[in-house]
Amino acid sequence: MPAAPRSNRNRIILIVIILLCVTVVTLYVRESDKGPLHKVQNFFLDLISPVSNAFAKIFRPIKDGVVNLFHLPSLSKERADLQKQVAELQRERIDTKEMEQALSEMKQLLHWTEGQAELETVGADIIGQSPNNWQRLMIINRGASSSVKKYMSIVTEQGLVGRIISVGSRSAVVQLMTDSRSEIGARDQRSRETGIVQGNNGETVRFTPMKEDADMKVGDVIETSGLGGTCPPGIALGTIKKVTKRSSGLTRYVEVKPFVQFSKLDKVVVVITPEPESVILREAQ
Amino acid sequence: MSRNRQIFLGICVVLAFVLQLSVMPQFKILGVSPDLILVVAVVVAVQEGPVAGAIVGFAGGMLQDIASPQVMGVSALTKTLAAFLAGVMKDFFMTYSILLPVLLVFLATIFEMGMNQGALIVLGQEQLPPFKISTIFAESLYNVIAVLIIYPFMKRFRFPQKEESIALTRPTKG
Repeated sequence: MPAAPRSNRNRIILIVIILLCVTVVTLYVRESDKGPLHKVQNFFLDLISPVSNAFAKIFRPIKDGVVNLFHLPSLSKERADLQKQVAELQRERIDTKEMEQALSEMKQLLHWTEGQAELETVGADIIGQSPNNWQRLMIINRGASSSVKKYMSIVTEQGLVGRIISVGSRSAVVQLMTDSRSEIGARDQRSRETGIVQGNNGETVRFTPMKEDADMKVGDVIETSGLGGTCPPGIALGTIKKVTKRSSGLTRYVEVKPFVQFSKLDKVVVVITPEPESVILREAQ
Repeated sequence: MSRNRQIFLGICVVLAFVLQLSVMPQFKILGVSPDLILVVAVVVAVQEGPVAGAIVGFAGGMLQDIASPQVMGVSALTKTLAAFLAGVMKDFFMTYSILLPVLLVFLATIFEMGMNQGALIVLGQEQLPPFKISTIFAESLYNVIAVLIIYPFMKRFRFPQKEESIALTRPTKG
């Protein structure tokens, strides 16, 4: 009977494949970020980055066209909103100029000097995204060769995008702030209440304040607090969309709409910061 | 399976991998893109049997694991099992309609995504609770659309075995 040996052969093939997968998973999880399997992964990420870059450049105009087509009905409303915003901003600009003038006069009076150095940055292109729908990751075309390191912040002119979680020689993996594993120290720009912003793989992120009776209002701007040492302070994250309170009236968590439109990201900036002490200590252990 | 068919399937896996990595992320709908590698693996399981599907699922999944920032081996394992089960389930249905791969891709996507997520939680890679039914449902529907294109395409490239082509030639007189 030829069917029986064939069936046995199939069974063996399946068992071998499963064992191979389990072995690779175990080795990968147990080894450090500098282990051989991680090195292989980083090597391939570097290898495919030019190809991904080329494809991204080819397909981005098509994608933008499709996205714009879907957003056509909301464009007129958006235009009206933007015109209103422009008028408001023009008024604010005049106020700001006056304040700047007053501030420079005060600085001169106090002989105050700028203590903080300008942040060093490196521009990067988005060349890939996570193929897995459970993660919100992106790949950029800058790596260790451009002084990019783990935990550095990624920003655009709109605000914070996320943090680098893995670095190859010519590419790096960015964990978006909307990823379910992302946690960033943040604060309310108005009330200075601090807390943690966590992603949940959705369009918004969740800000959990340290104090339950925190003073937070819809429309407040949330920015990075700098606590934890991985993100520089003062980078805008988003605005409060909804405040959820307990039955006792205390703040449970706050829903924040990020400023950055992740689906339209094309170019980003890596903020070159020294590696935080907490990270150096953790990796030394 | 003829040698030509094996080469064709190899090309399909590599093509699905390249498209998955470079083109599909550009066409996300509701934050979700189709899983072409899984679709190809299930189609192979339907057309060639569960073991062939499992091998394609393994090869495609491993390529995806190596070239993307995720735990290496997880996609390979989940795609292998999803394609194998789809191939086994095919035998329970007495139909050659395109509805069969459509149904199997839909079920395999739910199984694969659930298992992938479960594996990441077991490995401590994922925090609870990002498990969204809407994401699973959206990807399943997206994959169903993909299989409606991929299945007829892969069915067209069936290369006959040498013995079959000899059997079909007209016998000579005399």
